[in-house]
Amino acid sequence: MSGSAVGERRLRGVAGRLEALLPRPQDFPSPLRGPRTAARVGGWLGAAFLVCFATGLYSHLLQHPVAWLPLPTRPARLYQVTQGLHVASGTAAVPLLLVKLWSVFPRLFVRPPRAPRRLLGHLLERVSVAVLVGSCVVQLATGLANSAQWYPWGFDFVRTHFALGAVAAGSVLVHVAVKLPLVRAALEQRVEDRPERAGAPSRRSLLRMTWLSAGVAVLATTAAGVPGLRRVAVLAVRSGAGPQGVPVNRSAVAAAVTDLAADPGWRLLVRGPAGSTRLSREDLLAMRQRTAVLPIACVEGWSASGTWGGVAVRDVVALVGGTPQDDVTVRSLQRRGAYRESTLPAAWVARDDSLLALTLGGEPLHPDHGYPCRLIAPARSGVLQTKWLGEVEVVRA
Amino acid sequence: MSAGRVVLGLAGAALVGWGLVLLAGLSGQLLEIAAWLAGGIVVHDALLAPLVLLLGALAARRVPSWLRPPLVRLLVVLGPLTLVAVPVLGRFGARADNPTLLDRPYLAGWLVVAALAVLGTALDAARRRRAVAGPVPPPTP
Repeated sequence: MSGSAVGERRLRGVAGRLEALLPRPQDFPSPLRGPRTAARVGGWLGAAFLVCFATGLYSHLLQHPVAWLPLPTRPARLYQVTQGLHVASGTAAVPLLLVKLWSVFPRLFVRPPRAPRRLLGHLLERVSVAVLVGSCVVQLATGLANSAQWYPWGFDFVRTHFALGAVAAGSVLVHVAVKLPLVRAALEQRVEDRPERAGAPSRRSLLRMTWLSAGVAVLATTAAGVPGLRRVAVLAVRSGAGPQGVPVNRSAVAAAVTDLAADPGWRLLVRGPAGSTRLSREDLLAMRQRTAVLPIACVEGWSASGTWGGVAVRDVVALVGGTPQDDVTVRSLQRRGAYRESTLPAAWVARDDSLLALTLGGEPLHPDHGYPCRLIAPARSGVLQTKWLGEVEVVRA
Repeated sequence: MSAGRVVLGLAGAALVGWGLVLLAGLSGQLLEIAAWLAGGIVVHDALLAPLVLLLGALAARRVPSWLRPPLVRLLVVLGPLTLVAVPVLGRFGARADNPTLLDRPYLAGWLVVAALAVLGTALDAARRRRAVAGPVPPPTP
């Protein structure tokens, strides 16, 4: 016998011993696992992911508008609702995903078939499930960390979360397509009200505690945005308190604009097709003042409403030949940061409640809310409500 | 295979493909993203799931059967909630210049929820124990 044959036999022996250590699907005793549980929890999990993906896509489109798809500029609280749903559905998905994975965990230990053609199918399914589980876990983990402004990674969060969102949503669709007959059959079987044996909950009871878990997680973290439920949200990333009654995402100190914003020589540069002009705060206060009750609705899911006072964007750009058919780009005094400038599409410029705000709650803006002047417009993401404005430019579409 | 399933599967594959194209634009970060994806699977399959199995095995040996269903519920409710709370409990994202961020007493909040959950578990367990013991026999004269 040659040396290599001996080596191969030894290797097989080691692999065999290792394999014997791994459990087999039939080694998992709980009768509560399996399709009847997986199909029901999976249905709700799929619904949560659908809401999460749709609202995430909407948030992305708001921040990266495409010309052929006009977005609604009302109701003013639209983004507050969609982004609240985004974070709430992602949070609800955590217990749903964990119970779903528990219900199918024995499948991880199915041994690959030996026939080459079946092996290929097996490997394909394995890879697709790995992509599904990996992308779902990472989406939920990074989303929750981002809502608490915690970034324990080096990659670009926004672009990665968006790309993996598509991967996760697509994987869910493929998974549903593959499993649909199994799901149908499982949903036709009834859910047992009685435990199969003493010491175990019934399947009905397991499902109920899963829904309870999802509900508790949502209430404890995201109910802060729902009037009357703020106190219940003991794990919310914000209490809702802040200067002038509104929380702050990025402070003047963090944006390194404290001195620039407090400079009495500050002027707002306004540029348009008919030329340019520089306006002081007094110049802006001398124009027609409007007030609007609008929320700051952050991508992180929290939101707070304020009464903002200032000048309509359309009134300011009219000074330099801008019209409500033009887009308007605003730029902050801050020198760096991904959100130092934003573009207000023409549909928003046309609205009277798209403001260059000077006051909040009747007082001059707090430095952390964008003094001397900030943008505030309805149905937009908080990161697009640029603070500490230095420049307003009419962009002819 | 029905046409509906084929359409659903193709739509899903197209969405995955689009996501992969978007990912491909993140060159230089792909290794870390891949590590996170693999890490997500490993943390569940090799850490969380075995931990739950271990708890189940322990409960099967050491815990009377009337107490097990209430304990399962405690785990299903409190386990995921605790995972969800990790970013706020750790206050990893807190910043000195922004007191409006992470401004709740999170440990106290978590303890209140946990205490309520344990109380509910205890009440449920007591009810089940009485049911197991059966009706109390009438006092003999």
